[in-house]
Amino acid sequence: MDRKGLDLADTVWTKLDRKAGAIVELTVRQLRHRASTWVVLGVGAMLMVLLLAFYIDAVRDGFEPIDNDGDSVDEDSDGYPLGQEMKYGTSDFDSTDYPGSSEYVSESSIGWNDGLRTFYGNKTWSGQALFDPVWVDSGYEDDDPWSNIVDWDSTEDCPPGQIYDDWHPIYGTACHFEDDLHYVYGEWRGEGTVYVPEGNFLQWGYYTEPFEVAPDPPEKYIDEDDIDCFDSSGNRVVCPAGDRLSGSHGYDDDGDCLRVGWVEGRDGDWFLEWDANIEDNFDDDRNNNGIRCDVLWEVDADGNEVRRITADSYVDEDPDDEAYVGELGHRTFIIGVGKMAFVILLGLFIPLFLALGLVRDETESGTLHFLLSKPIHRGEFILYRLMGYMVVSGSYVLALSLVMGVVTAALGPGDQIFRLSDLPVWLGIGLATTFVLAAYGALFNTMGLISPKYGVYVCIVFGVWEFMMGTFSIINPNWDISSISITHWALQMIDAIVLLAWPDTLQWAEIGAAYGIETGLSFFWHPPVHTLGTQSAAVALLVSVVTLLSVTVVMMVIGQSVFSRREIM
Amino acid sequence: MTVGTQKSPAVLIDQVSKWYGQVIGINDVSLAIDGGVTGILGPNGAGKSTLFKLLMGRLKPNQGSVRLFGADPWSDTTPYRRVGYVSESERLYDWMTGLDFVTTLARLHGMTREEATERSAHVLDFVGLADVMHKELGKYSKGMRQRVKIAHALVHDPDLIILDEPLHGCDPIARTSVMSVIRELGNQGKTVLVSSHILEEIERITEQIVILHNGRLLAIGNLHAIRDLLDKHPHRILIRCEDPRSLAALFIREDPVYGVRFPSEGELEIQTNNLSAAHSLLPSVVVESGQAISTIENPDDNLESLLGYLIGGAQ
Repeated sequence: MDRKGLDLADTVWTKLDRKAGAIVELTVRQLRHRASTWVVLGVGAMLMVLLLAFYIDAVRDGFEPIDNDGDSVDEDSDGYPLGQEMKYGTSDFDSTDYPGSSEYVSESSIGWNDGLRTFYGNKTWSGQALFDPVWVDSGYEDDDPWSNIVDWDSTEDCPPGQIYDDWHPIYGTACHFEDDLHYVYGEWRGEGTVYVPEGNFLQWGYYTEPFEVAPDPPEKYIDEDDIDCFDSSGNRVVCPAGDRLSGSHGYDDDGDCLRVGWVEGRDGDWFLEWDANIEDNFDDDRNNNGIRCDVLWEVDADGNEVRRITADSYVDEDPDDEAYVGELGHRTFIIGVGKMAFVILLGLFIPLFLALGLVRDETESGTLHFLLSKPIHRGEFILYRLMGYMVVSGSYVLALSLVMGVVTAALGPGDQIFRLSDLPVWLGIGLATTFVLAAYGALFNTMGLISPKYGVYVCIVFGVWEFMMGTFSIINPNWDISSISITHWALQMIDAIVLLAWPDTLQWAEIGAAYGIETGLSFFWHPPVHTLGTQSAAVALLVSVVTLLSVTVVMMVIGQSVFSRREIM
Repeated sequence: MTVGTQKSPAVLIDQVSKWYGQVIGINDVSLAIDGGVTGILGPNGAGKSTLFKLLMGRLKPNQGSVRLFGADPWSDTTPYRRVGYVSESERLYDWMTGLDFVTTLARLHGMTREEATERSAHVLDFVGLADVMHKELGKYSKGMRQRVKIAHALVHDPDLIILDEPLHGCDPIARTSVMSVIRELGNQGKTVLVSSHILEEIERITEQIVILHNGRLLAIGNLHAIRDLLDKHPHRILIRCEDPRSLAALFIREDPVYGVRFPSEGELEIQTNNLSAAHSLLPSVVVESGQAISTIENPDDNLESLLGYLIGGAQ
């Protein structure tokens, strides 16, 4: 290019630049002088302050350790928490049945249709029988008026007549039948011969010696089975980091799957057969990998993303909430705020108030005549107007996201003082919202031009559609129809940026779902969809950005062509 | 396309028609204007603003062609570099100062901020707003607002200036200063188009006029020539005096006067077909009568009667 050509190019560009500067500056100053601008931006800022207040409140309260598997309770108030009672096979719904309590051991019985219906011994008996005592332990009783233990002190003659025809025995009592025979119904201790009438039942046995077991503090059963991951050399590492994702992880820290050294065969055992975590029967190899009490991580073909985590019953079921709920909740907050508050709310309302009248209002007030009597193309004018609007709204959104980022990065969970890795996510949220502002800005401005009178209603209908599609995109981004919306692509941008800034988010989401730590991460975040088959977040980001920019450009071109043909009265 | 060659006239309108639905705005108008101050005269709705909006590319002609320095203003913004346009629009950015307003618009000509500020201060001084240019436009009087609108149109030193009703709503003082600004522009050799619906206003600015009526070009040329034609036409002079009858007796003797009427108490209407002759003998007759005259009016010396004459209607 010769010197003259350079000069020419320089001049043309500089002049364009100056015109752009003038219109952008005018637009910014105009927006600054409008009350509606301050109202919208103020409401947006207040919304963020409110959300931050909730966040700060949650952080300040700390993450109370949660008893995810519910075994720290003491339902029967016997001082032993459920977890300890389970170990000893005792019931947490019976205060007389607790670790170390004596337990009735049944030796034998006479059923309702057994042939031999008599037995002699020194036993603890339970059931209905005619008893010919040699010796009776009249001191074996308790204070419970509803007890089944027979009170021998108040024994009377049985009523006259045929048993079962004329009278019925009373539970927990004995009556003098004839000679030495007593009709007994309940539990008693003594030596003698029993005769069990046909159709009745009696069992006999003994009570084990009670022994002293110190009750565990309930805290012992909170966060007692943390999530365990192992690296390739078999060392336990913090989840989800680690070089080995696939295969067998997990360790039954509290032993309620492995049951090593547990007392078996007691009444409370039935409880263990129910795995409350997955509301199914206990199975110590639920994931069918041949290893008892472990957690199986399955990854996708390229080995980078965890697709499924399946744990055996009661393995890693009560993780350390401080570490997991904190991190998951933090990410959920950022993604949720980014999607709902930034993209959907700010992204829709700012352009509705700021962009709709960008050119239309100038036409209506007649001030457009001043601007258009200058050597400036109408299309250029639209572009510069939108640029001015973007300077205001874009810098507002970026500043807002930066403030949110700094506050949450400073307060967020984790060992580091400042969560630097959060800032790219917030920046991404700011950028995604900026792209949305540009696309809606161009769209709404064009609507205002096409129909100065009814454009606003069209925009509101658009807004409702976008809101619906945005919500659908959050719930299930795979739903194709939601991609016919601007919001969808901005939400995709956030999904992609989250995966780029926090590559382990997919694992976190899986961990959250697999271990029942539901903070909503798997609701608010899904892996990006539009990866053109590459599974790459960067590709998804690029596709989304290109789509949003295309929408903006197309809308501007439509607006420009409408405006260029418009006669201005 | 070559734009703005010295050969092309500033304004060239060739058989242009513009209608809004059933309503005619401009009807088959042809016009070429280059140099000097031209008054566009016409009553409200005559098509003055339509003509200017066609020239400024706001409207697209239904028929014919509009050329501004040889270029079509509808599709090409380049001629605007040489044109300053003062629209009839009353609205301004009230929150801006006069200097801000003119500077912002000046920058749309590709000036730097410094150039624009300097030029704006200069033109604001030229239109007599130097002392208020740092005040907000919202605080400007009607006349100041008109002048700031003129200032923005002059800021890039255009060759052609189009002013749509610049005197509308101005008080007499503002009117005088706006008029002198326009005359000064004419003296600087610029092409100026100024529209008005008041004959007297245009008369004080220029002699070169275009008369529009119902969208048609009614007359074009020198105002005095047109007025001379008009003077030969029956005209009325209304005199309020103590004794109309004795004054009438003196007037009826004179040659240019062919009739008298007494429209109401204390009023004398003289009918003449040579207005200037009648006016020149007025002083001597009045002195002769010795009466005190309260007012002398020319009810026919306005645009309506001029139009009435030109279209050959009543009067």
